[in-house]
Amino acid sequence: MATQVVDHSALKVNQTGIVATVLVAFVGSAFYRPALLLIPLLAIVLLLGTFAPQLALFKQLYFKVLKPAGIVKPQPVQDRPEPHNFAQGLGGVFLAVSSFFLYVASPAYGPTLLVIGLAIALLVAVLAFINLAFGYCLGCQIYYQLGKAGVIRAS
Amino acid sequence: MTQLWALAVVAIVVLIAACLEAFRSRRARKRALGAVAAPAADPYILYFTGDGCTVCRTHQEPALAKLGAVRIDRVDAIADRTLADRFHVYTLPTTVVMSPEGRALHVNYGYATAPKLERQLAEARGSAIQAATA
Repeated sequence: MATQVVDHSALKVNQTGIVATVLVAFVGSAFYRPALLLIPLLAIVLLLGTFAPQLALFKQLYFKVLKPAGIVKPQPVQDRPEPHNFAQGLGGVFLAVSSFFLYVASPAYGPTLLVIGLAIALLVAVLAFINLAFGYCLGCQIYYQLGKAGVIRAS
Repeated sequence: MTQLWALAVVAIVVLIAACLEAFRSRRARKRALGAVAAPAADPYILYFTGDGCTVCRTHQEPALAKLGAVRIDRVDAIADRTLADRFHVYTLPTTVVMSPEGRALHVNYGYATAPKLERQLAEARGSAIQAATA
């Protein structure tokens, strides 16, 4: 499969958005519990953005506001968008699972599941931060492993 | 309090993941060392990459370009699965410093810096000279 130009600044804005949203929800929930609502909202944003890039909130923020205003400079790289989309979708799935623990399981089965829900959301933020800071994309590595195993067509 | 417990859980998960990664990397390296590929006149590098590897383009390829006149055999790890499996490639990029006889001397899973590769190549040249004079 041929590579194309991927603007890595859009990916970095997306990762920054994920980290910031989870952190606001995490810290905010200590004082104001409804702040946790940001987690399922973020899950929806990531999942929608995976299947319909025009609905990817943070990337659109970059393309429509930050890039035209010159606040964030473009960083075009010959790359494939599929592994990044896969990683984003995986983040969305994990945040959906986290939301299930936060809003469905914990009210029924106790606060331990609330801790698990928060921990899953925080892990997604940690992985987004590692990608942002060090360029290591766990979702992309999983994509490679699935391609190697023949589960998905990776090249 | 819930937040602190969640932080503790995340810290434990990250620590366990880091230990598992170190263990996996060490085990794969041990198995890959000594694996053979084509011989050459001088030490060379086997560079495992793939279309979807971003770090390969943004970090590894600029580092390889700094090495100068060193033979670099680029291998698509998904297309050439047999060779990738021989060197236990589980992550991209992976770089293998090969001796002139075609034996793996150093295996780097993940991004390897130019100074690190230069050091490994110098060691490979040194061992090649020793082998020739012995």
